[in-house]
Amino acid sequence: MVRWGMVIDLKRCTGCHSCTVACKVEHHTPPGVFWAKVVRIESGKYPTVIRQAVPLLCMHCREPECEKVCPTGATKKQPDGRVTVDSEECVGCRYCAVACPYGARCFTSDWKDYFTGDTKPSSPYAEYSKRKWLEESDKGVVSKCDFCEERVAQGKQPACVNACPCEARTFGDLDDSESEVSQLIKKRRGMQLHPEYGTDACVYYLPAR
Amino acid sequence: MSQSSSSDQSGTCVLQQEDFKPGARTQMEWGFGGRRRWRDGALLMALFLGGIGAGQFVVSTWLIDSVTSAFVGLLVVGVGKTVAHLIYLGQPKRFYRLFLRPKTSWISRGLIFMVVFVAFGAAYLAPDLGFDWVPWETGSTFSDALLVGAILSASLVMVYDGFVLASCKSITAWNTALMPPLFFTYAVAGGTAMTYLTLIAMGSNIPNEDTLTTIDSVLLISMFALLVIYVLNMKTSTATARESLRRLTTTKVAVAFIGVAIIAGLLVPLSLTLYHEVATTETIASVLLALSSILELAGDLSVRHSILRAGLHAPVFSEGL
Ligand code: SF4
Ligand code: SF4
Repeated sequence: MVRWGMVIDLKRCTGCHSCTVACKVEHHTPPGVFWAKVVRIESGKYPTVIRQAVPLLCMHCREPECEKVCPTGATKKQPDGRVTVDSEECVGCRYCAVACPYGARCFTSDWKDYFTGDTKPSSPYAEYSKRKWLEESDKGVVSKCDFCEERVAQGKQPACVNACPCEARTFGDLDDSESEVSQLIKKRRGMQLHPEYGTDACVYYLPAR
Repeated sequence: MSQSSSSDQSGTCVLQQEDFKPGARTQMEWGFGGRRRWRDGALLMALFLGGIGAGQFVVSTWLIDSVTSAFVGLLVVGVGKTVAHLIYLGQPKRFYRLFLRPKTSWISRGLIFMVVFVAFGAAYLAPDLGFDWVPWETGSTFSDALLVGAILSASLVMVYDGFVLASCKSITAWNTALMPPLFFTYAVAGGTAMTYLTLIAMGSNIPNEDTLTTIDSVLLISMFALLVIYVLNMKTSTATARESLRRLTTTKVAVAFIGVAIIAGLLVPLSLTLYHEVATTETIASVLLALSSILELAGDLSVRHSILRAGLHAPVFSEGL
């Protein structure tokens, strides 16, 4: 069985936010909802301090805190390793968003237009975007990255991987020891964020130095 | 991720910095960060009403045997807490789904405790409330069993909020074993204050008044001790916990935490409770008791509010990136 995962090479990421925008375009997320983010941090100790960009998304944990705390069963672990939210089962209690250590979840009380901040779409594109968003998620529920389920089912790469101009992101099967992701993790000491929480994330980071 | 944007005065969306911040992030999902500010406050009310209502039922049935006060406690949980939860949910019509995962989710467990408490409590009080067609009488073995069930489930309602918060691993100010006892003690004290106020409003005498005031004083001292341990614990813990402590003590939240929760909600009621014993007339004693109870309730609400506001997620980045 496949287990989808991602490797992000911090040496390559320039912090251009292409992934953030590609994700927004792919999933029509309304203002304030970010499934893919890039945060800038400082790391190292003087005199070897560097400033680097760190892309963030749902880690599709093998032991997800969000799934454990969800009282409705709306958050599910899929057999292919993805962690998903069924928007028809979610009640919008936000326990998952509080419990997720990686800030990967967004609650949307209502769809809003980017330009007017109103719930009424201001253009035909906004109308299309609203329809798509309500089809994919809903109002009053929580949403998050699903590793571009539809694209992956069609044999494509997730939108953020596809859009990254520096090829900092690699997507693939973590259970296949010969896959590019597994090889990168092995050869370049891929690390998970906060292993101490026991979440066993499926997104790995390759160190910047 | 937090609910990351809010509407400014003109209604357009403004980005709050939390999403793209590298350091500790404020939890804004549970209250005060969202677009629906007044609705977000409903969660705080649900925590507050659940604690004081269940506490009032236990104090009223166990210590003073007041049916009216116990019934008020039951209503506060059965109606007040339920409505507050429904207001808070994004999809209230699906509320029944909240009960589906008691194996792993403290919210499911808590709501099941709440339903069991309301069912047992209502069944226990039924004969005294005029439903004399029920096939049991107050004082019968069956009725006693109902009371035991109601008190046990009420205790679980009082404590489960603490477990809900403590289960969030990345929020160091919550992820501590102190949360359940803190919420439980506050619920019993809030329940005692509600019982006093109900009896004073009804113009009834307070049975077992000395025992109740002694219990109240012990609770106030315990709450103070628990808060001191909580603060010291944060002081010696991670950088995120220290940042939470800074919020509790030096920002706007300090007004609620130090001003209302500690000074007005603990120290003043403690002195009033002690002074009440030497009050010269019964009216003065009642006024002092009522004042102390109101302050205790304000302190209870403020402590829950402050704890929610002090919730900071540890930075997402591990050492060594
Ligand atoms: S990163 Fe957060 S939302 Fe994603 S699976 Fe892990 S715990 Fe759940
Ligand atoms: S907000 Fe939805 S997905 Fe999250 S814990 Fe509540 S019911 Fe589950």
